[in-house]
Amino acid sequence: MRLSDLYFLMPLLILVGAATLNMLVVAVKRNHKVIFGITIVAHLVAVFTLLQLNGSSYQIPPFFVMDGWGIFNLGLILLTSLFVTLLSYAYFEQREERKEEYYLLLILATLGACVLVISQHFMALFLGLEILSVALYSLIAYLRTRERSDEAGIKYLILAALSSAFLLFGMALVYAVTGTMSFPEIGVYLQSVSELPLLLLTGFGLMIVGIGFKLGIVPFHMWAPDVYEGAPAPVTAFIATVSKGGMMGLLIRFFSQADAYRYANLMLIFTIIAIASMLAGNLLALRQKNIKRLLAYSSIAHLGYILVAFLAGNRLGVEAVSFYLVAYFITSLGAFGVVALLSDTERDADQLEDYRGLFWRRPATAAVFTAMLLSLAGIPLTAGFVGKFYILASGVNTQQWLLVLMLVLNSVIGLYYYIKVIAAMFAQTKSVQERRKVLHPALSFASGGAMAILGLLLIWIGVYPTSLVQLIRGLLATFMTTF
Amino acid sequence: MENLLWLVPALPFAGALILIITGTRLSRPLVSLIGVGSVGVSALLTLILGSQFLSAGPTEPVYQQVVWQWFSVEGFNPGIAFHLDALSMVFIFVITFVGFLIHLYSTAYMADDDGFARFFAYLNLFVGSMLVLVLADNLVLLYLGWEGVGLCSYLLIGFWYKEPANGYAARKAFIITRVGDTALAIGLFMLFQLFGTLHIQTIATEAPQTWAVGSQAATIIAFLLLGGAVGKSGQLPLQTWLPDAMAGPTPVSALIHAATMVTAGVYLITRMHVIFELAPTAMLTVAIIGAVTLLIAGCAALAQSDLKRVLAYSTISQIGYMFLALGVGAWSAGIFHFMIHAFFKALLFLSAGAIIISLHHEQNMFRMGGLRKLLPAVFWTFLIGSASLAALPLITAGFYSKDQILWYAMAGERGNTWLYLAGLLGAFITAIYTFRMVFITFYGAPKSHVTHPPGPIITVPLIILAVLSLLGGFIELPHNFGHVVLFSDFLTPLLPAIHANDALGTSEWIFQLVAAIISLSGVYLAYVFYLQKPALQANMEQSSLFRAVHRFWYSGWGFDKLYDTLFVRPYVFLARINKNDIIDKIYAALAAIAQVLNRSLAQTQSGILRWYMMGVVVGALLIITLSLLP
Amino acid sequence: MTGSLFYFLTFLTLFAALGVVFSKNPVYSVLFLILTFFSLSGHYILLNAQFVAAVNIIVYAGAIMVLFLFVIMFLNLNMDTEQAQKKSVLTKVAGAISGGLLLVIMIAVLKDAEVGSYDPENFDSQIGLVENLGHLLFTKYLLPFELASVLFLVAMVGAVMLGKKETQQRHF
Repeated sequence: MRLSDLYFLMPLLILVGAATLNMLVVAVKRNHKVIFGITIVAHLVAVFTLLQLNGSSYQIPPFFVMDGWGIFNLGLILLTSLFVTLLSYAYFEQREERKEEYYLLLILATLGACVLVISQHFMALFLGLEILSVALYSLIAYLRTRERSDEAGIKYLILAALSSAFLLFGMALVYAVTGTMSFPEIGVYLQSVSELPLLLLTGFGLMIVGIGFKLGIVPFHMWAPDVYEGAPAPVTAFIATVSKGGMMGLLIRFFSQADAYRYANLMLIFTIIAIASMLAGNLLALRQKNIKRLLAYSSIAHLGYILVAFLAGNRLGVEAVSFYLVAYFITSLGAFGVVALLSDTERDADQLEDYRGLFWRRPATAAVFTAMLLSLAGIPLTAGFVGKFYILASGVNTQQWLLVLMLVLNSVIGLYYYIKVIAAMFAQTKSVQERRKVLHPALSFASGGAMAILGLLLIWIGVYPTSLVQLIRGLLATFMTTF
Repeated sequence: MENLLWLVPALPFAGALILIITGTRLSRPLVSLIGVGSVGVSALLTLILGSQFLSAGPTEPVYQQVVWQWFSVEGFNPGIAFHLDALSMVFIFVITFVGFLIHLYSTAYMADDDGFARFFAYLNLFVGSMLVLVLADNLVLLYLGWEGVGLCSYLLIGFWYKEPANGYAARKAFIITRVGDTALAIGLFMLFQLFGTLHIQTIATEAPQTWAVGSQAATIIAFLLLGGAVGKSGQLPLQTWLPDAMAGPTPVSALIHAATMVTAGVYLITRMHVIFELAPTAMLTVAIIGAVTLLIAGCAALAQSDLKRVLAYSTISQIGYMFLALGVGAWSAGIFHFMIHAFFKALLFLSAGAIIISLHHEQNMFRMGGLRKLLPAVFWTFLIGSASLAALPLITAGFYSKDQILWYAMAGERGNTWLYLAGLLGAFITAIYTFRMVFITFYGAPKSHVTHPPGPIITVPLIILAVLSLLGGFIELPHNFGHVVLFSDFLTPLLPAIHANDALGTSEWIFQLVAAIISLSGVYLAYVFYLQKPALQANMEQSSLFRAVHRFWYSGWGFDKLYDTLFVRPYVFLARINKNDIIDKIYAALAAIAQVLNRSLAQTQSGILRWYMMGVVVGALLIITLSLLP
Repeated sequence: MTGSLFYFLTFLTLFAALGVVFSKNPVYSVLFLILTFFSLSGHYILLNAQFVAAVNIIVYAGAIMVLFLFVIMFLNLNMDTEQAQKKSVLTKVAGAISGGLLLVIMIAVLKDAEVGSYDPENFDSQIGLVENLGHLLFTKYLLPFELASVLFLVAMVGAVMLGKKETQQRHF
């Protein structure tokens, strides 16, 4: 440990500090506003300290590396978590008690994801993963009195434990063969052997199970709809974005540092997973009437799309993944933000019926939701379109015609259910009056502002993506030298 | 200043957007202000840009502006970039300036209409799209503008949509131009396949290096582009939509179906002149289409009774002249005639509109008569427009522009006697039908009452356009007569100059004299027939041959009937056979497959935890098996 | 001697683990689990990891298992409730097949895998003692060690939060 390590780990330290501070404040006096404020400030300061780091690669051997890719992912995760926090305030203000621990858990879950994306060692990886998972167990079951909440929490707990077991076993096998747990050294080992030992391949295969579970890709996707449905809407947004994005960041780091792109078998596995995820996600969503489940299926499909770019395995591919992650994060946050915004004290607004005629009741909310859905569907002038185009370009660039074909086909299938929701929002209904009790407008200020920013970002990136592309290229410059 | 180029099309679009969103809630003066103001500022900007452009001299004749670069991935970088050169300068000048006058006129013309805001929203949208069309540096953007003006044309023809006939006319216009648009789209695909880009300048520089003159690819592409141009410009064989398009409000007919949109075909051919010059067959076809169209439409105009339909056929005929000019390679003559035509035809339509609204929406000429005294201002402007259209020698702009075309049709390298004779005959017919219209409408006994005399907002644009119709010709005078070549000099760096046949060089004045005599004799003939001895006309109507020809011409040479039997009926027949939509069955089956897959996959989402765990185990099994594959 | 002890312990571990899964009575399951932990600790000792072995017995076999027993007896989970839950034959068969296949393929993979061996000359028998372990934990592995503390914090907060009684709660 050097002193400068602390400087580079500052964003993480700030998160831990904020969590501790929150805990102490809760112990003295429960106040939702104060805790919310601390959480927001902590995120902002963490992002600020992150900005102070230059993009050059900094090693904290053997566990962490702070390079452009790490900084990009950290920034993405921190900002996403910030938006989740903003959306949470109005959502939890409606609840009677126990609002405060939520922020504590959220911060720590964010920390877990942050650890994940900068780790280059199995030990750090596993700790990060577990911090994230354990925080999520309790976050999912947070509104215990609700019908599906316990069920979702338990399901996630058991399946996550199962997948962690697979991951651990896989890491043990890899360690047994290579004698090291750090990614670059595994890469060195892989360079030295001409043919991969059977045991190592099995280890990688088992690790994919653990990684695939967190990403929610076929065939490890089955938890997604149940958990999405049972979890509170902001937590669902968190699972769909930070949890999956963190894992994706790790996957790309592992594959590039260990240079695992060379192995046709692994690529074949991911190709099959990608195609299956796209198909299963879109087909399952077709007749879904529950918005949260629908978005769960849609996120399975979107991870499939991201894998297409991941499989390109070159600079363009990583660029495409980065861009798509940003677009997908914004879109998911926006979509679940709308769900959170429309939810009441009894239940989340997750039925399609809740959205019928929304445009005539709350035009602004419906407009944002429409924009988000169009972006998910990949309609031009939204961030989703540019992202999808990027992925297509990387797929075409590496001549993966099957994947490209499936991507296009699935985009068409996906269009159906996104448009279905939009059509429902614009349908004329007889009962025009607001069925639900509306919150005090000041309360939903944070949510409303966050939604407005997300909507604007979506359009801005869709219309003028060059700035984001420049940013990503700049940050990837230091990471890609390790290719 | 040149950085403001993007504002020229952006302002009308902004105006359209505001009017679409807030239209019905704004007061009429505010709607007028937004609608007219946006185009007015565009016109002002165009004037400033134009003066800069002229003062910059021939060294820097092009402004490029990248307005918006969308993204840049793997060499594919779509965006919006504008390209302003002399050719587009002429077009944007006409579009914004004439457009502004017509907008201004419309505030009075449409004052009592319920769809006031809607009208201006469409009109602004049209101006914006048309500007995009002519400013595009890329054929995709051009195509976007091309379709945009088509859409606006459809919306505005069917503006009074409560009348089913108007809706029918709108659909007819849309569908027939679609035939041409499809050809154009195929042409663009081929260009992209061959060049890997649709950037106009790149194609223009690479095409001569890629293709020899007369090569097959160039000819095919030129014909496909011509198809698009023919559809949009109402030339043979896709001209039938334009007379029906008069169902729209008269300012629309003036702006879209006379001055600007219908000349998009002329613009397209001129813009892609490099390709056409590589395809002599296509060039000849352009000339022949122009010559035949101008004769057919001229004859049809002779038989019409509806004032606006006369003008519509005359528009087709005049665009025929432009095509003739382009076909013989007299590029700048064609563009010159486009500009002059925009002035006098807009003037004629607007004057006709003033008459129509004065007589409470009466369009039949034979129920007008004697309006010379009742509407003096309109009479004079209409007369000036007609004189220009009939190309009365020396004083009208139409004479100079048409004379140039006739001269090059004869003396140009690609010209020949037949084309010249067709043009000359056309000029004769033009003079007849023009003054037939004037004499029937304004002379003789009054047959109706003037209910709404036109106000200053209507007359001022008429006067401005009348002045332009007279003086506009003096910027380009024949070689043997003043030799002013401002206009063709302006276009020279861009469009290749045409060389006249030296053998005919000295005899140019003979041709001019013939043209002048022809047009004057046409006027005299109309005078004799319709004013001096109406009995002569009555006598002729006795003969069955005359009646048959009249009917034939009245129906526009029976093209509608021909197409009805050739295309519409077979199509309807096929559609009836295919009532149950056989092709749709394939898609229904695809949807059904998706449903079945959805049902079977939904079974896996049982909510039972054991089942999910088994899914993970099976997944692990599959992955390990796959990873062990050799 | 070590070899036969290893095989004995392995057999015991597997037997006890299967017992956990197959016994119908949850109390038996927990008892089998305790046996599993003890035999695992035996493996640790064979691997020269005495500290881990001791901790395993104290924490898992001692604390956690006692807690498990308490909870099970508290909730009175007997055989009746277990059998009330229906399991379809299909699920059973499919589960058996997939699990069995996974077993087969894992055996196939691990059967003739080469595992790196150790060098008896330089082998440090003290490596698993608490002193060495502590030294490593507080120097080289300080960062993961601290992260582990965060992990426990999360778990603690979550557990307390979920376990706390809520006013509007019906019963638990």
